[in-house]
Amino acid sequence: MTSTPTRAAELPPSAPERSAVYVPGTWARRAAAALSFRNIGAVYVWLVIVVLFTVWAPDTFPTTITVKQVLNGNAVAGLVALSVVPPLAARVFDLSIAFTMSLTSVLTAHFMVSAGLGPGTAIALAMTAALLVGVVNGIVVVVLRVDSFIATLATGALIQSLITMVTNDSSITGVRLLAEPFASIAQLDAGGVTLPVLYLLLAALAIWFLLEHTATGRRLYATGFNADAARLQGVRTDRLRFLTLVASALLSGFAGVVFTASVGSGSPTAGTPYLLSAYAAAFVGATQLRAGRFNAWGTVLAVLLLGTGITGLGLATSAQWAASLFTGSVLIVALVLTGGRIALPAVLRRRARTRPDPSTSKEIR
Amino acid sequence: MGTELTGPVLRVAGLSKRFGGTQALTDVELEVMPGEIHALIGPNGSGKSTLIKILAGYHHAEPGAVAELDGEPFGLGQVEASRHDRLRFVHQELGLVGELSATDNLALSHGFARTAFGNIRWREMERRTSALVERFGLGIDVRRPLAAATLVQRTVVAIAAALQGWEGRRGVLVLDEPTAVLPPGEVARLFDIVREVRDAGAGVLYVSHRMDEIFALADRVTVIRGGRRIATRPVAELTPRLLAELMAGEDMETTHRPAPRTGPTNPVLEVRDLWAGPLRGVGFDLAGGERLGITGLVGSGHEIVPYAVCGAHAGQVSGRLRLPERSEWWTEARDASGLGLPLVPADRAGEGVIGDFSVGENLTLPLLDRLRSRSGRLRRRRESDLAQDWIRRVGVRTAGHGARIATLSGGNQQKVVMARCLAGRPPVLALCEPTAGVDIATRLQLYDLIERQADEGMGVIVSSSDTQDLLALCTRVLVVRDGRIAREISGRDITEPALVHAMEGTE
Repeated sequence: MTSTPTRAAELPPSAPERSAVYVPGTWARRAAAALSFRNIGAVYVWLVIVVLFTVWAPDTFPTTITVKQVLNGNAVAGLVALSVVPPLAARVFDLSIAFTMSLTSVLTAHFMVSAGLGPGTAIALAMTAALLVGVVNGIVVVVLRVDSFIATLATGALIQSLITMVTNDSSITGVRLLAEPFASIAQLDAGGVTLPVLYLLLAALAIWFLLEHTATGRRLYATGFNADAARLQGVRTDRLRFLTLVASALLSGFAGVVFTASVGSGSPTAGTPYLLSAYAAAFVGATQLRAGRFNAWGTVLAVLLLGTGITGLGLATSAQWAASLFTGSVLIVALVLTGGRIALPAVLRRRARTRPDPSTSKEIR
Repeated sequence: MGTELTGPVLRVAGLSKRFGGTQALTDVELEVMPGEIHALIGPNGSGKSTLIKILAGYHHAEPGAVAELDGEPFGLGQVEASRHDRLRFVHQELGLVGELSATDNLALSHGFARTAFGNIRWREMERRTSALVERFGLGIDVRRPLAAATLVQRTVVAIAAALQGWEGRRGVLVLDEPTAVLPPGEVARLFDIVREVRDAGAGVLYVSHRMDEIFALADRVTVIRGGRRIATRPVAELTPRLLAELMAGEDMETTHRPAPRTGPTNPVLEVRDLWAGPLRGVGFDLAGGERLGITGLVGSGHEIVPYAVCGAHAGQVSGRLRLPERSEWWTEARDASGLGLPLVPADRAGEGVIGDFSVGENLTLPLLDRLRSRSGRLRRRRESDLAQDWIRRVGVRTAGHGARIATLSGGNQQKVVMARCLAGRPPVLALCEPTAGVDIATRLQLYDLIERQADEGMGVIVSSSDTQDLLALCTRVLVVRDGRIAREISGRDITEPALVHAMEGTE
């Protein structure tokens, strides 16, 4: 008999469940759980915002133009936000996404404008560069075992130096970038809704399927929640972490290509403004739908919520500082309302990377 | 020393403690005299640690307990400054910060010397620390991070931290199994230090479960077993044999006795020349239907065996193993994970369950490949059927397979871990401390579950430092001492005294 019961043993077995779990019961109870504030609080906040701005700016806000503006204007932000979801599910931080996005933006422009290549080749080369970034990130984080938070900051700096090398820190512009067929990648529209919105939907669909409906997704979450336990169950945690870094580099790289096509220039700082908003959306998203898990639709919801708010503020006031104030407030409020019960950054959790030797683990901490 | 009092410096009486349904301590009494090394000895789970934790204020005692320091009563289960002055602890975990130096660590428990401006007077801090640490003469660099120090150096720093500002007072230094990780050569140095503390007039309460240490060091010994004080004797009046009998309770009847298996069965696992951690060449055969126990004292390395067999040991491993029914080829021990044998790990929260996952998700994690449709989609319905089926079979008490596993009791979590291992129908199941932190009723259910699996032909390896597990469960027990299998006990010969003698080497 061990005289010290574990903490788990002292937990009352009847502790309330989180809403993320399937609760057997009537259809009505399940519907109530699905529509609860805890599950989709962001939807209600979003509705409040819509009503608020409709009252505040009745002439400009409640229009189809605003709807299109919110959708088109946030598609790239949504892609970048989605790119951090798979790594975060496995508790890996990829802070280099912003730089990867800038890299593909300037490379696409560079290959088309300076090297005179066709759009297909240029995009392929830029995406190859993004793939390389992902592989390098994977090597540093997984093989060399550097904490992902710091490692991807470092690789981000390396990418920035590459960008400066190509561009001398000035945007690459050219008529070819604005011409068909390249520009249509971002500017083709159906009823005013442009193609990037479709990309966002497809990416969300793919990540949702991966995380919710495949074994790989389940293993990603297992890796994120308790890598030691997952490893003992045969989950190849290192390989999964590596792959999430490749995925985030590819998706953020693709966002860079779309960005270039939509603005018609390759900007060396294209990605920078998207970094914080991507993490804000992913973290707010993790409080939605699958509370405690980074997930695709929650993230999209958060992007739209933040996008609507910022667009509304832009229409209602001219205060430049309002947008960031709004983003920060939403992030804090969302995290507080859900009890902050989502994954902490790995660097803040003092957890051993490998299992300590059981013969000594009891004595030396 | 101040006034010469003849009474005990620490007295505890009528101390009881319950954890839920478990009676950890019953009416325990203890007296430590000044200038004495008083050993507290008992098998694993006897209640030693609980007693220490109550003294240290981590747990509350049940009402009715009396505790006095030098005749002055103090409250058990609360941290008081006055008591802290007299009663100092060196816990098993030492409570040091490895990244910091000895100086920093001492300052953490006793404060920094500062100037009038508030900045730290490092020179003085280092001098103070050196003075405390040098007394033990181990050449500790007080500026280097402790992570770089040897184990005995760290232990010394922990003792020095406990003794700060305490010189010459009447008090009690409590050492909780300080030698558990020390190499044999360094134990003697530690003993000298402990004697020095005693000779300065303090009482020392020395917790151990190694009898050799008691005879080398202690003046008196209190034996506790099953949460009760069995005896307090001067060590001079005892022989190792006598002490072992007190510890083991020679006359204790054994409760749940599994019938020894009859007739020869084929081996399902063969392990040869296994080296890992403290293990130095361990080998054995495991027959189908056999429930093989592996045990030893803390530090013997017995708990590594299941990890090594499953390829889950973090350190260096060598040796080879084979599943004769599956293949005639031997597998190198470092590639053992390729055999895919399931492990019920010792640290349930850290390695066993994924707390943020539901019961079902925990159960099916290693089985996901089987639940995939051709398109790669997970078959949710089949997954929940599988989970529900196993929840029923092993009798997990839960609100449903969708409930978060962290909401379950430790015993029920353990059942989920077991079910997950069994669902793959492995030829061998390896368990490490399977009943740690599990209440008695669930413990019996777990025994029953393991027994049923073995009866169906599975080979079971149980590493446990809890003799109750071994007595109730095993058909054969290997006792590991000094990294080797020192003794093999099987069938009716598995008794508590036999196990204790074999572990301690007092046969």
